[in-house]
Amino acid sequence: MSASTRVEIKPGAYKSDLKPVWCPGCGDFGVLNALYRAMANLQIEPWNTVILSGIGCSSRLPGYVHTYGFNGVHGRALTLATGVKMARPELTVIAVGGDGDGLAIGGNHLIHACRRNLDVTYILMDNEIYGLTKGQVAPTTPTGDKTKSTYWGNPEPAVDPCELAISTGATWVGRGFSGDMKGLTELITGAIDHSGFSFLNCMSPCVTWRGDDEFKRLKAMQKPLPEDHDPSRRANAIAYTREKDVLTTGVLYKVEAPTMVDRVEAIKQQAMGGKPAPSTKEILSTFYPKF
Amino acid sequence: MPTRDLTIAMVGSGGDGIITMGDMLAQAGAAVGLHVMKVEAYGPQIRGGESSCTVRISADPIFAQGDQVQVLVVFNWADFAQFRSEIVTALDAVVLYEATDETPRESIDLGSIESVRWVPVPFIELAKTSAGTTLAKNIVTLGILGELFNLPKEPVERAIRGKFTKKKAEVLEANLKGYVAGIEYAKTIEEHASGKRLQYTPGEPMLLMSGNELSAVAALHAGCRFFAGYPITPSSEVLHFLSQWMPKVGGYLVQTEDELAAIGAVIGGSFAGVKSMTATSGPGLALMTEMLGLAAMAEVPAVIIDVQRGGPSTGLPTKSEQSDLWQALWGSHGDAPRVVLAPADVEDCFHATVAAFNIAEEAQMPVIVLSDQFIAQRRETLSMLTLDHEVVGRQVPSAGDLREYKRYKDTRSGISPMSWPGMKGGEYQTNGLEHGEDGTPSSMHILHEKMNAKRYRKLRLVRDKYSFYRRYGTERADVGIICWGSSKGPVKEAVMRANGRGEKVSAFVPQLLYPFPYHEFTEYLKTVDNVIVMELSYSAQFYKYLRTFLDLPEARTFVFKRSGGRNLTVGEVEDKIRKVLDMSALRGEVLV
Repeated sequence: MSASTRVEIKPGAYKSDLKPVWCPGCGDFGVLNALYRAMANLQIEPWNTVILSGIGCSSRLPGYVHTYGFNGVHGRALTLATGVKMARPELTVIAVGGDGDGLAIGGNHLIHACRRNLDVTYILMDNEIYGLTKGQVAPTTPTGDKTKSTYWGNPEPAVDPCELAISTGATWVGRGFSGDMKGLTELITGAIDHSGFSFLNCMSPCVTWRGDDEFKRLKAMQKPLPEDHDPSRRANAIAYTREKDVLTTGVLYKVEAPTMVDRVEAIKQQAMGGKPAPSTKEILSTFYPKF
Repeated sequence: MPTRDLTIAMVGSGGDGIITMGDMLAQAGAAVGLHVMKVEAYGPQIRGGESSCTVRISADPIFAQGDQVQVLVVFNWADFAQFRSEIVTALDAVVLYEATDETPRESIDLGSIESVRWVPVPFIELAKTSAGTTLAKNIVTLGILGELFNLPKEPVERAIRGKFTKKKAEVLEANLKGYVAGIEYAKTIEEHASGKRLQYTPGEPMLLMSGNELSAVAALHAGCRFFAGYPITPSSEVLHFLSQWMPKVGGYLVQTEDELAAIGAVIGGSFAGVKSMTATSGPGLALMTEMLGLAAMAEVPAVIIDVQRGGPSTGLPTKSEQSDLWQALWGSHGDAPRVVLAPADVEDCFHATVAAFNIAEEAQMPVIVLSDQFIAQRRETLSMLTLDHEVVGRQVPSAGDLREYKRYKDTRSGISPMSWPGMKGGEYQTNGLEHGEDGTPSSMHILHEKMNAKRYRKLRLVRDKYSFYRRYGTERADVGIICWGSSKGPVKEAVMRANGRGEKVSAFVPQLLYPFPYHEFTEYLKTVDNVIVMELSYSAQFYKYLRTFLDLPEARTFVFKRSGGRNLTVGEVEDKIRKVLDMSALRGEVLV
């Protein structure tokens, strides 16, 4: 389609017919709406887009967006996304999921997706709790919090997802809040637009298992990054993400670096050397005695 | 009298050049069109330690590793002791051993070596005086073996030149001197080789490949352009080969962080419309099991090569066993249809792997190629002519289908046209959750029943369209052997020998294991009086699997099963055939 005949895609066009299963007041609604807007901002073609997820409340999201979607198994969204992006680099690939999915059962995959700098956007909807399984402690739950599986209070410290992503090689790391539609839309737009692995930790409160005040609490904590923050400086980014008792939002870290696809594409060019792919017979012939 | 079939085993320490020697012998045989099978074995050390290499060279087609070696080269008896239960010498075998070995053979338990021709050879001394270095010991030995047993000497010399051509001229010169010294020395001991000189007519060169290498080539032939894998013995050669060749054909490869990621990436790549594969061994397949269920539920084609090794757990990583069968067939939560294919030899690795892609694409489900260490890592000669196989693609939606696209449309065959990203109008959401025809999640019992039926119905098409099995021996038989996978080689050889003696024996080897080839089995059973089921699984997984589908003739069915760790031998198979033949003869008398 040429640019002149292109019809503008409105945010509503990305909405699927499915009604979300989320509880009233769930933060994930905000993330979903911001995603529709970000996709419209970038005029992303639904048929050239794949959204993949694992298991959890937030992992239901692909069903609510009119694109190709894959609601996989617990913790493995990024493994599926790796396959899609490597097999079809021209596609827009977005992975989504919750903090349990991405940081507990799927934590290892996050590290390696960051390290590879695969050109995938990963939106982690962080509610500091397991929602779908009804209220157990998550790797992001603050120490001391009582949950269904920490009757006496959580004995473990929480992980900082942004610090983890920055330190393992993600080239775009941001933090957002689902109660901040404008800011979140900008962040998701920037994350998808970034070439390389973009990691967006989005605070998305669970009003069912962490209480009705969760929205208010987070809103009061939200503090956008100062305008003069230089996101290319790793030390700055880590200092901001470590700040206690505030929810720093914005693009913490952003650098340009070759992506996984750039690197394997270069290998492919080198291996093929401008020649057509060898036939099966030619490949087999290399197994004749070599003298 | 000359021979047409010779098995040579070589044993030494790492650094003795055992593997290089075996490789050169095998390549020289392949170069002149001889049939060759080469098997290597190592101690647990990464470097150094004992190693052995067995090369069988024959003027006629061969199907098994030689049970018994006619020629044994021992650089070190202490190393040989590590393999004594695995290397069995034939009666009257020629044993060439280091004359100055510091551990004399009399001082250690050598197991069953007896009635052989003991020939002490000063390998070290010969290497030192001719080539100026003990490192040339293996090259000296090649000269001795070539001259004594009439092996293709000229190709060996070319192999030596090829190997040392990149080194300094003096190194090549020294090795060639060592080779000639070996040949000259052999002339002084030639009386020991009587009856063991190979007789053959040179022919066209043959390919020399392992099952893993052939599986990898087959994947490329089938159009696989994405591979994700995690290193694991004994499957890693597939990853190695494809790391070199996948980019050459314009595809991509990733070594993932674990097997969970490997199967996930394969499902992702395939969902995106690119034929995708992974290769692993038992422990890796265990990790992939959850996502096999996902591929079955989401109906995504996926090819998984499982190269079996001894288990459970870490087990015997470098040895073969047939004990991943149940895991491959049934390893699942929920009812998760998949197809299981089992190549029975190196050449089969090509056909089974291409067929696996065809079936995966056609039936949109995971297909496991159940290989094993014995066929995956041994090298054998093959003819290029046999290595071709038709390639089938995925059924994609028509323009009409896309107008109101239902990804999981309930069809007669169970197969629904599958779109992939990029197809406008083909957008759908897939799911590990149970889902309706359009992909919408649902927990309704009635829908679950209907969709289970749809997914399982696809197996019928596979069963009816793909008939892979091998049958050997007489049309009607007193004894029929049922086996699978690499057991085929020794079974086939034993059956042919039995037929040569006039015994009525046959064998049936299914290569499509699941869906169960019921028709082929029942037809076969009609042709045999007694059945022996043979397998390398302590708990008799194959026999029990057969029992779930078949009524094997009661009182006329025998099971020979044992643990892996040592490949099935022709001798074992012949022994069981004889026992059952004797028993049935006895029964005949009683009845009369």
